[in-house]
Amino acid sequence: MKLDSTDTTANEPTAAPTMWRGLDELAPSPAAQAAALDEFPEGAAEFSDEPSRRRFLALMGASVALATGAGCNLRPASQRKIVPYTTQPDEMVPGVPLYFATATSFGGYGQGVLVRSNEGRPTKIEGNPDHPSSLGGAGLHALASVLDLYDPDRSRGVTRRGNAVGYDEALAALRAKLYTGSTTNTGVKVRILSETTTSPTLGAQFTRLLTAFPDSRWIQYEPISGANARAGSAKAFGTPLRAVYDFLKADVVLSLDSDFLCSGPGHVRYSRDFADRRKIRQNGKDAAAIGAGARLPEGVQADQVNRFYAVECMPTNTGAVADHRLPLLTAHIELFARELARELGVKDAPAGSLPPDAADAKAWLKPLAADLSAAARKGKTVVVVGDHAPASLHAVAFAINAHLDNIGKTVRFIASPEVTVKDKMSDLKTLTDELTAKSVDVLLIIGDANPVYTAPADIDFAGTLAAFAKEKFTLHLGQRQDETGVLCEWHVNESHYLESWGDIRGHDGTAAIQQPLIAPLHHGKSAIELLAAILPSAGDIDTKLGARVPAASRDPLDIVRATWQNTDEVRKTFPNFAKPDAFDTFWQESVRSGVVAGTTPPAPPTAPSPTLAAGWATGDAFAVPGAGKYELNIRACPSLHDGRFANNGWLQELPKPLTKIAWDNAAFLSPKTADELQVSDTYYNWNKGAGEHGRAEVGVIEIDVGGKKIKAPVWILPGHADGAITVHLGHGRDGGRVGRVATSPDELNVDGKPARGFNAYPVRTSTAPWVTKATVTKTNGSYILACTQGHWAMAEKDPVSGKLLDRKPVRKGSLAEYNANKSFAKIPPMAAGETAGINENIPRPKGSPEEHPHDERLHPLNMYQPAEVLVPDLKEAQRRRWGMAIDLSACTGCSACLIACQSENNIPTVGKTQVTKGREMHWIRIDRYYESTTPDMKGAKDAGAIKTYFQPLMCVQCENAPCEIVCPVGATVHSADGLNDMTYNRCVGTRYCSNNCPYKVRRFNFLTFKGNDWDTDTLKLGRNPDVSVRSRGVMEKCTFCVQRIRGAEIVAEREQRPIRDGEILTACQSACPSTAIVFGDLNDADSAVSRWKNEPANYGLLAELNTRPRLTHLATIRNPNPAMPK
Amino acid sequence: MPQIFPKALNPIAKMLILAAPLLAGGAGVTGAAFYRSSYATGVGEIRPQPVAFSHAHHVGQLGIHCVYCHTSVEKSGFANIPPTKTCMNCHQQIWQGADVLEPVRNSYKEDKPIEWLRVHNLPHYAYFNHSIHVAKGVGCVSCHGRLDQMNLTMQNSTLLMEWCISCHRAPEKHLRPKTEVFNMQYDPKKPAKWTAEDFGVSGTLAGKPHPALSDPAVYDAEKKEFKDRPTSQKELGLFLKDKYNVRDAVTLTNCSMCHR
Repeated sequence: MKLDSTDTTANEPTAAPTMWRGLDELAPSPAAQAAALDEFPEGAAEFSDEPSRRRFLALMGASVALATGAGCNLRPASQRKIVPYTTQPDEMVPGVPLYFATATSFGGYGQGVLVRSNEGRPTKIEGNPDHPSSLGGAGLHALASVLDLYDPDRSRGVTRRGNAVGYDEALAALRAKLYTGSTTNTGVKVRILSETTTSPTLGAQFTRLLTAFPDSRWIQYEPISGANARAGSAKAFGTPLRAVYDFLKADVVLSLDSDFLCSGPGHVRYSRDFADRRKIRQNGKDAAAIGAGARLPEGVQADQVNRFYAVECMPTNTGAVADHRLPLLTAHIELFARELARELGVKDAPAGSLPPDAADAKAWLKPLAADLSAAARKGKTVVVVGDHAPASLHAVAFAINAHLDNIGKTVRFIASPEVTVKDKMSDLKTLTDELTAKSVDVLLIIGDANPVYTAPADIDFAGTLAAFAKEKFTLHLGQRQDETGVLCEWHVNESHYLESWGDIRGHDGTAAIQQPLIAPLHHGKSAIELLAAILPSAGDIDTKLGARVPAASRDPLDIVRATWQNTDEVRKTFPNFAKPDAFDTFWQESVRSGVVAGTTPPAPPTAPSPTLAAGWATGDAFAVPGAGKYELNIRACPSLHDGRFANNGWLQELPKPLTKIAWDNAAFLSPKTADELQVSDTYYNWNKGAGEHGRAEVGVIEIDVGGKKIKAPVWILPGHADGAITVHLGHGRDGGRVGRVATSPDELNVDGKPARGFNAYPVRTSTAPWVTKATVTKTNGSYILACTQGHWAMAEKDPVSGKLLDRKPVRKGSLAEYNANKSFAKIPPMAAGETAGINENIPRPKGSPEEHPHDERLHPLNMYQPAEVLVPDLKEAQRRRWGMAIDLSACTGCSACLIACQSENNIPTVGKTQVTKGREMHWIRIDRYYESTTPDMKGAKDAGAIKTYFQPLMCVQCENAPCEIVCPVGATVHSADGLNDMTYNRCVGTRYCSNNCPYKVRRFNFLTFKGNDWDTDTLKLGRNPDVSVRSRGVMEKCTFCVQRIRGAEIVAEREQRPIRDGEILTACQSACPSTAIVFGDLNDADSAVSRWKNEPANYGLLAELNTRPRLTHLATIRNPNPAMPK
Repeated sequence: MPQIFPKALNPIAKMLILAAPLLAGGAGVTGAAFYRSSYATGVGEIRPQPVAFSHAHHVGQLGIHCVYCHTSVEKSGFANIPPTKTCMNCHQQIWQGADVLEPVRNSYKEDKPIEWLRVHNLPHYAYFNHSIHVAKGVGCVSCHGRLDQMNLTMQNSTLLMEWCISCHRAPEKHLRPKTEVFNMQYDPKKPAKWTAEDFGVSGTLAGKPHPALSDPAVYDAEKKEFKDRPTSQKELGLFLKDKYNVRDAVTLTNCSMCHR
């Protein structure tokens, strides 16, 4: 048997999969091929300054000199200090981290998290398994929020017109407006502008403020909000409600332009539930267990896999994992829904039909309706609509759900958890008019709303605010002096959620208490504290100032406690609630667990389900406003959201989950649209700049919406609906003091401004915030984008023929294929004839039927026979073989694992220029693969036929590791439990290991990167003390979170017990919203990882190279409907 | 071109060439010796501390247990430097006015920690965990030396990697019964009997009979008494290595044990 042979391609199945990674592969040129073969794009290993060789030598000389200088200080550590407490807190054991439950806030909604605290410094965010919006997983933004805490560019004090003042002065000035002596100025016109809030405490404070000052108004403005969904539910049921979905019980899911798996308040929970119905397990749940709502055992039997249809314009990660995906113009989506409603026989279904040219969509209707309305599926389907979709579409979807009997089963409705005040709300437009007329006395802007940057283009909020602030009182409470903050007279620095007390509700209304983990780094104040300081308080009498003026600022903990002490909500569920001791217990338990017991709204049948209101079907279908040939869709950026994360280096550098572009946004359009606009030569240009392999030189278009114009670089995205363009918000910030990450003096954006990406808000109007018609023209400009999709390609040249070998690494199949041959994924595409031999070489769990004798070997494996003395001699319970499995059926490519890994392992960010050179440091990469009918541009243009697959890949910890045998200094060697150890302090940076790694998962630290800068004090605080901070010249890679493994080993050894399965969660595993990753001991036949690896869909990536990967994947198995059009 | 060096220097040049390997070798040897010297490693060096704390007095004379101050040594990687409060537990009562304790009192009064100079400096890329060493029967003395005899604290071991690894390769040379871990005067040759605590599993017994009682190697069930401990370190070390599940040299010298 020749394991390494590549001459068995004859055995390949004739229907070869037509997989490709990016468009530049389809426009093959020698440059693209060369780029694919190169591990690093050209110039990665060089200093780009010209002349590079000379500069290199100069720097070498300098570093030799420095090294000599440093060497003179032989004992740099001899002056290190050790500083104990004066009085040590009781609960603290120095060196052992503590975990505290709290909740992140995002779009007003909370996600329960557990925060690791190392000696009082929050260092890592994990999901809170008790919180219904998390169940243990965590989203991108929650994970990255810890970096915001340590952001050195956060606002560090109170200012008045830019000059530093004290908080007390700001407070005194504000109180002087609200109170005269001891009386309240009831006539004062206060306007409060805040984001959406679900906080009961903050809500109660607003209510009290509005009661005390009756002429006041509260404005909630958020550029990305669920307002349309709320309006839709009001249209459908007569009252605004919030829909909560149960994807665990849904057999068929239809998404109408919804990215429910990767965005929105409940996406982590939805992702978990949804993925559970995608994971096929031999001993998974059967129909009865699913009906009973059981969460365990995980996964489902093969006959219980759900089916997912997605209709969307811009490809999202949700659509990417669909069984059937229909690219459709946003203009047509509601028409599609209306036709579907009629096809299903929904009573009073409104009129509206797809235009005749939407033949693809029309062909979907009948089979889709049949699938949804099958008798066995009654009450077991979900139709879910994106938050940005028009209200009328939401109403239609609710009606379809009602017709399919889903309401009260898979779709339940709760009263909106958002705090709203009747008759006291107004909108941003009204506020701007009032500010223009200067008919308002006091304007308070609270939180990250930042309307100067995010306000619709037809509202000149910036100019209005600037003029207003010159004459009237304005105060901004925010974490940074953003565009809005610099215009206001007063700016008070806000505390981070990890620094303050608060409360917040999750997607299903469950409340959580937010507790501080650290005293405010820059003495910031929370909104609750600020409001408490200005609220009239009847009870507290300030002797000096009189009865009606607020007393001295109160402890925010007391304020939040008081809210819950006086609330009716939990009285019902918590016995003897009013008694002081009982409340203490209740409070302690709520803070500890991160969930306020008794606040989860009751599920049906306890809670009645709403019925459709009479007028739900009235009105025409939504028509896209504006004029122009193209439809412009405006969406939140998957990483920067509305722009609030612009100064978060982790999120900026994150290759965006589907497009893999880092540090920028782009105008996304389909290949056909690109042809029309004559920008399709872009992908040939790509090759000039190495395309998706780092530096992509792309064309630039100008988008004109009713006279407002923006320029945007073009990114051709297969699968995008033809005739439409999508842009993401949140980029192009250069105003205010946004920070050093968001602004980029060296890397100008397409407008020549020192900002990251272009700003799309100028074409977003209040009448068309999500979609509008636009005129688009090509410009002569070009722009460089950093795209990581082509980096680290697992390509190689056939040594004999010299041809480029594509090992077609990702494996996938349909449920039918799986049922026909459960082990289909085990067949290596390049060596089908050797399947048996190759699979024998994949590490298997103990006791599995195909266990191979070599599995018992624990000694370091490499080419050379180990010396006798090197064979470990361990007791049975100490013999561990760490392994990991990733279920690609569950993976949505959301990239939360990547941020979790970055946070846990002190991984630096490198900046856009460095990313274009292939120097990004992420230990995990998520490869994206496309499949089309034909592997050429013709196939790529067939948007409806594009299928997308994700394959996360980090170091697979080969048992036969090719990197180890080439390391000249033994810096990477095997450990007895099968880890491929990387010893940074021994590495001399030859990069041979990386060169020899077939998976391309090693990362070389070319420079001491900014994100890891060793001088910024605040950033130092946020590092994980258990992981070395690497310097330049060192190779690094995934370690399976060895610090967590060794930590758990120490605890278990100390307690003289074996390590329990699930005791060690790697950072990626613990974050993964869809539980696609499992880690554990292969020597434990009952461990979860052993169960996963015993699944027939388990395959060893590139196992044909005899690497024996400890990380294996479970093939993507989709469940297409045979009745659907191809 | 005129000659720069006179011809007479030729023999010297030849000698220099011949001597080059010797010089290089000499430099290597000197370097290695310097690297291991107490100057470079800091062994035996006394650092100026804010308070002249004497382990010899507190441990040797007064017999205060290590864990009284180093509270987390059994629970955490970090043994803990005692907070000022720990000092004040006693020094509120005794030596209240001593000048030498002025910094301690100030620290307590002003809530400002005492800034000690680190005596044992491990490089940041090396991970060390006290708790597992204590749990496996490595005595304090094995690394820290006879602290009960040190007036001012100093480093006793080189902390070089070769020093760490010499023990990880042969842990049996340094293992002692758990009850002797904190014993500064422990001598394996002194005859003693096993005790139940030597094999105790803290907190996990929960009403079950102690496992040591059913172990014929340590407990004589007929006489109802514990047996004598072996008096040779080799025998004792190998016995404890087995009993305490100390892993073997191959595993203990894995890179990721200490570097991550």
